[in-house]
Amino acid sequence: MTMTQTSARLAARIEDASKVYGEGDTEIRALDGVTAGFESGVFTAIMGPSGSGKSTLLHCVAGLDELTSGRVYIGDVELGPLKDKALTLLRREKVGFVFQAFNLIPTLSARENVLLPLLIAGADPEQAWFDQVVGILGLEDRLSHRPSELSGGQQQRVAAARALVSRPEIIFADEPSGNLDSRSAAELLDFMRRAVKEFGQTIVMVTHDPVAASYADRAIFLEDGKIVGELLDPTPDTVLDRMRQFGA
Amino acid sequence: MIRTALKTAFAHKLRLALTALSVMIGVAFIAGTYIFTDTIDNTFSQMFDDIFQGQDVIVQSVSEYDVGFSGPAPMDESVLDTVLSVPGVAIAEGSVGGFAIIYDKEGEAIVPTGPPTIGGSMTNDLRLAGNVGLRDGRVPTAPNEVAIDARTADDNGIAVGDVIKVQTPDKVAEYEVVATLRFGESDNLSGATWAGFDLNTAQELFDLQGQYSGITVIGEDGTNVDVLRNSIAAALPDGIEAVSAADEAAAQSEALSESLGFLRTALLVFAAVSVFVASFIIQNTFRIIVRQRQKELALLRAVGATGTQVVWMVVIEALLVALVASILGIALGFVLSSGLTAVMGALGFDMPSTSAPLATRTVLISLAVGVLVTLAAAVLPAIRASRIPPVAALQDVDVRLRMSDRKRTLIGSIVLAAGLALVLNGLFGDILDFGPLNELTAVGVGALLVFLAVSMLSSRVVKPVARILGWPLPKLDNLTGTLAIENTTRKPRRTATTASALMIGLALVGFFFVLGNSIKASTSAAIEEGLRADYVLSVSGFSGGFSPQLGETLSTAPEIGAVTALRFGFWDNNGTEDFVMGIDTDTVEQTIELGVVEGSLDALGDGGVFVLQDNADAEGWALGDTVPMGLATTGLQEMEIVGIYTEANVVQSNFLMGMDTYKANFEGFGTDVDFVLAVKAADGVAPETSRAVINAAAADYPNVEVRDQVEYRKSQEAQVNTILVMFNALLALAVIIAMVGITNTLALSVFERTREIGLLRAVGMTRGQIRRMIRWESIIVAVIGALLGVVLGLFFGVVVTLALKSQGIDVLAIPAGQIIGLVIFGVVAGLLAAIMPARRAAKLNILEAIAYE
Repeated sequence: MTMTQTSARLAARIEDASKVYGEGDTEIRALDGVTAGFESGVFTAIMGPSGSGKSTLLHCVAGLDELTSGRVYIGDVELGPLKDKALTLLRREKVGFVFQAFNLIPTLSARENVLLPLLIAGADPEQAWFDQVVGILGLEDRLSHRPSELSGGQQQRVAAARALVSRPEIIFADEPSGNLDSRSAAELLDFMRRAVKEFGQTIVMVTHDPVAASYADRAIFLEDGKIVGELLDPTPDTVLDRMRQFGA
Repeated sequence: MIRTALKTAFAHKLRLALTALSVMIGVAFIAGTYIFTDTIDNTFSQMFDDIFQGQDVIVQSVSEYDVGFSGPAPMDESVLDTVLSVPGVAIAEGSVGGFAIIYDKEGEAIVPTGPPTIGGSMTNDLRLAGNVGLRDGRVPTAPNEVAIDARTADDNGIAVGDVIKVQTPDKVAEYEVVATLRFGESDNLSGATWAGFDLNTAQELFDLQGQYSGITVIGEDGTNVDVLRNSIAAALPDGIEAVSAADEAAAQSEALSESLGFLRTALLVFAAVSVFVASFIIQNTFRIIVRQRQKELALLRAVGATGTQVVWMVVIEALLVALVASILGIALGFVLSSGLTAVMGALGFDMPSTSAPLATRTVLISLAVGVLVTLAAAVLPAIRASRIPPVAALQDVDVRLRMSDRKRTLIGSIVLAAGLALVLNGLFGDILDFGPLNELTAVGVGALLVFLAVSMLSSRVVKPVARILGWPLPKLDNLTGTLAIENTTRKPRRTATTASALMIGLALVGFFFVLGNSIKASTSAAIEEGLRADYVLSVSGFSGGFSPQLGETLSTAPEIGAVTALRFGFWDNNGTEDFVMGIDTDTVEQTIELGVVEGSLDALGDGGVFVLQDNADAEGWALGDTVPMGLATTGLQEMEIVGIYTEANVVQSNFLMGMDTYKANFEGFGTDVDFVLAVKAADGVAPETSRAVINAAAADYPNVEVRDQVEYRKSQEAQVNTILVMFNALLALAVIIAMVGITNTLALSVFERTREIGLLRAVGMTRGQIRRMIRWESIIVAVIGALLGVVLGLFFGVVVTLALKSQGIDVLAIPAGQIIGLVIFGVVAGLLAAIMPARRAAKLNILEAIAYE
């Protein structure tokens, strides 16, 4: 069991976390005593084969799902005792999301989708920051379009902009490039890396793609609900090597 | 295929339940109407069977035309001797009946709010009294003795031996109660109060000395009733007939049922409205279902199901919904029927506890309507489903299976034009002549087409209207408001159909508001102009009339200038029931403005009839022509038109007779009493003085209400209000169905937008915000429906009011407050309809929602 202990602040951490579905014979331990920390300003990839529990880990850390046992913190706030409303507000203020598909509200324009968490909160966006994010993502001239009028890559970039624009403590991305062609995927992942490097953003990304994982600073490997390894500054090759070791 | 259809149907229980609910309510309304009116029929037929129980033959004057209160004319008592001399007759007695009010021991009159107060003679031999039996005491035999129904006695603490007052047409007098009576198992006769006297006393009280209203006969043991009837008939003089008691019971019960036929028709019309609204909901639901199951249906097509099989799948699901809903609807019909019975009871019409019958006809009609309407509404979506190409299973494409907007607008416009043409032609034009009764149907069909057309066309206005309506929302409620507007406009047709369902109910409510208020305003204006009298004395409830004694007393009082009595009678106008007022021609000029344009009141005093200008114009009658009137007592009479008048609002009749003519042509029960008195104070008498005199005189006539001009106007308005309330209560079911429709559509939309809602929740939308979003959405849809309804309601209200101008409705009154109230109602309806779907949306599990395909 490895765990990186540095003096850096942890944007989120999970301690001795288990998640069990079903009972008796049908019991599935999606997470089995997982402890992990996600440092601020670090791009972490969570890797693992299908059914390894990587998505469950992401959902639990992000406050979308509840643990069966163990503790989860975003910043210093423990999520376990929070009621739905407090949890929702915490997600709105401190967490950003990029999902694999269906990231955008079809009835809202790209601009409104980017501003969604702020609009929900009724908060005013920082115009300069908004312009900067939109500029980097190359979305300036697509802002008045509806999602149906955007390409898949553009849609995911809008989702990324949405995740960034509220300056959350941490962004969770679930296979963000899973549905994209390789060029669009590279653009999106490159942008995510820039967000970490240039703006000090914290990103945790679930993926099963070694190439995608290579954009991260660090990769955690999950199997059967347990953390089975870690890799710093992963490259596609080192990731593939490591995955073969686990027979994945 | 059937199993697949059944499986899908059961997999979506809620959807099925909500769709079924709308069908169920509509069917329940129809079934309830039949069950209720059948119950009334049964009650009447039971009641008359009881009344004539044990009797064999009835002898009475030949009645040309049988209606309501006017019974057969009296006959001379000598007929009884003739009857008794016929071989085979065992016993026979004559009887008379009329108006009588019983007073309680404190001297207060007992006047039920609805049913009549009646009295009659009692037979010496109780075998001739039908189901009338003694609870207590003995048959009255002396002029100062009375028997009363046991219910009245019990309710008022009257017992045998007490002395009470009873009012009859000519006097109030004291009588000793010698018996309390039962009617079969019942303690009274459907709520009426009943006072029985011995024959001679009754003849005197009802001013029928030496006469009988009828003779009841029981034959010797073993006599064949038909043979007996024939031998009696052979012995009777002209104008007197003998009928078997069974036939008479059937005839009387049928006559009463027929006079209530309008009730069945009216209820069925409202039921039809409900079913029509329900068809919108069904169609919408199946359209959404097909759309949501596009992939599944395409997959079936891909693995080899034919288009026809897909149609059958949808149709079978619809059939299932229809059958379940119709059967439940019939069951609910019993509840509705007993509700209506309770309402009747509350109005004073006691219905004996006859069990509600379920006729085969009721079941067949209810099932047929439920199934046909559901199938008709599901057919288009089903055909649409069959056009889904198999490739849709593989691709994530939104297959467009709808009519193009242009085509829809074109068809909608044609339907609208046809509907408007039918309505306007029916109301004003005579290009197409359907005849008067079919004209009403034509207007109804036209209105139906207009509703359909507006529903088709309204999808074009949903977007702009929702934007305008929703304009303040984003300011009020930021994102949830914006999302609500967008959600209502993304599927304009769905929103339009949902809103249209509400539109129909509210349009009819709005229509009745405009028409009702116009009638009120017109009546008020007409009363103000047409009523010269200072007071109107009329009978309360349906108790028939009051003693002419009151009018006579008043006309002799020095404080009173003029008294005009009005009496009411039905007649047969070439197959349709019409009515005529008998009036005092000497005084009417001082009390009521008739607007006589031809002829004179003097002439009317001598005979003949006055006809309202409109009727004369419509029939092409002129002064000196004759009107064939089928009259109850005297048969078909050619009545000469001796005058034409224009103001019918106060007399409320399109035909008038002089009082002498009336008395000559109407005899028998209920026609010997006054219906209304128009009273004018003498010149220079202060209102307080004249009022006091009238009140004092009327105090002896407990069922008489005294109203001055203002009060009379208000009472007329109150009558219209009562009808408005009744109509709106009946329309409430249609509105409820529409609300179920909004709920259903919203629930299906929420289901469709599961991922979207999940995403909103993930990025920080609270449950409260989700609920608000759905609520706003619902309110927008409901208010669009309310606005469309108000516009259509105003339109129909205005054109119908204009069309009724010749009927004296010449003031157009648009009740702004009530109309605004309708829109506010729309907001409330939207809020209520949103409760369930909003809760469901808020409770969605985020993870499942995100993962939802």
